[in-house]
Amino acid sequence: MFHYQFDWGIVTSGKYFEWLLSGLYTTVQLSAVSIVLAFLLGLIIAMMRMSRVLPVRWFAYGYLEFFRNTPLLVQMFFWYFGSYKLLPEAVNDVLAQTNFEFTAAVIALTIYTSAFIAEDIRSGVRSIPKEQMEAARSSGFSYIRAMQYVVLPQAIRITIPPLINQFLNLTKNSSLAMTIGVAELTYQARQVESYTFRGYEAFTAATLVYLALSLFITGLVNLYNKMVLMRMRGE
Amino acid sequence: MTKLANLLLAIVILAALSTAAIAAGDTLAEIKRKGVLVAGVKDSLPPFGYIDEQTRRIVGYDVDFARAIADKLGVKLELKPVSSASRIPQLMERHIDIIVATTSNTPQRQQQIDFSYAYFFTVQKFLVKKGTVKSLADLEGKKIGTAKGSDSEQNASEALPSATILSFDDYPQAFLALQQGKIFAVTTDEAILAGIRQKAPNKEKFEIPDFQISDEAYGIAMRKGDSALRDFVNKTLLEMEASGQAKEIFEKWFGPQSATPMSRAFSITADK
Repeated sequence: MFHYQFDWGIVTSGKYFEWLLSGLYTTVQLSAVSIVLAFLLGLIIAMMRMSRVLPVRWFAYGYLEFFRNTPLLVQMFFWYFGSYKLLPEAVNDVLAQTNFEFTAAVIALTIYTSAFIAEDIRSGVRSIPKEQMEAARSSGFSYIRAMQYVVLPQAIRITIPPLINQFLNLTKNSSLAMTIGVAELTYQARQVESYTFRGYEAFTAATLVYLALSLFITGLVNLYNKMVLMRMRGE
Repeated sequence: MTKLANLLLAIVILAALSTAAIAAGDTLAEIKRKGVLVAGVKDSLPPFGYIDEQTRRIVGYDVDFARAIADKLGVKLELKPVSSASRIPQLMERHIDIIVATTSNTPQRQQQIDFSYAYFFTVQKFLVKKGTVKSLADLEGKKIGTAKGSDSEQNASEALPSATILSFDDYPQAFLALQQGKIFAVTTDEAILAGIRQKAPNKEKFEIPDFQISDEAYGIAMRKGDSALRDFVNKTLLEMEASGQAKEIFEKWFGPQSATPMSRAFSITADK
């Protein structure tokens, strides 16, 4: 069926290997920065969503629904191309000097993923009996401190499996950054394909790298759960 | 029961035969049998292939050549939009029969696909904001945009090793990035740049400085070993040149009355 001679050499050494490696480096950077930011932002939005102050809750609700329900690709284009119209010319000129492709991709991935993370955290928090919060508050903890010391450590642990999902999704979604010219792994794989016409090899290599990266992230989060969160709960 | 078995057998044999025909690579016979020529063309690249605002159909220089070949074959023409990056994989995967999509004939591509005689000649240049670039040296170290999978990308990184080449999905996005000052220049073939510039609402702000980094000859691309089809396409191209039809198509899209006037400094011959 295949009239095709595989040549794995091109993706395991030499110039094209270096391209893929630099793509992997960019993907890791992009994912790592976005995961941290998305988690923090998600946490904030989740807190806002549960706030007793009505306008804050409404804002968080609008944010969640808006960013969860629009395609990431569109958001990517919005932050890269669309932001131009919203920003003053001077800011645009400064941004053009920087690596704005990367920044726009981080913003898009962070905001998009934070909406999902916020919902996961919220359901984690809701699974903690509300008496715990009441007990903490009546012991003199402020709302924020009660969250920080009593509710969140338990909630986050419950949230870990869905959080892993979001982190993995983010890592794979980072490939959309290629559409705005960020030279991440998929971009480089496509680049290798157009220089060598060795699409099978290039994309097989990229697939395996994504798989390894995803397994690594899963392992890392599980390890954190074991080492830190379980000890925190005294298990 | 035997009837059913026979029917199944017939289907299996038929399937085997048609696969055999495909495996033999006789696309020409296959096209005639189906009565359709499926051509991969660009759909956002005036004047080669773009969607006409009135008719909502893909038209252009490339499209006219594809149509002439289909007419000559006596079959219907089906157009499939392709991008620079997708066109060769689409051809290999048999989703299209021929590529008529501003495909430059390069030795590298010849290892994968066959080319017809060249039906268009151009040079690779840069589209920049007016007054920003005088020579190639002005582009050193700058961000330059182009489209993925194009050989413009490879030429540019050879000519300007210090520049950052940003590859977008297709040329309109690269041009948008140029308009917003995110990149310093868009590079590809002059005829394409002229078409992009022509479509821009503020076209007087952009120019194509008078220096080039490569010569490009567009060929119609087919799968390797499709020699019957390639011979037919080549024969048709030569006939179109002899009859004046090729020149007519050029005048239609690049003549003095067109949006992107150019002079035809070439003819289709069997040695290119």
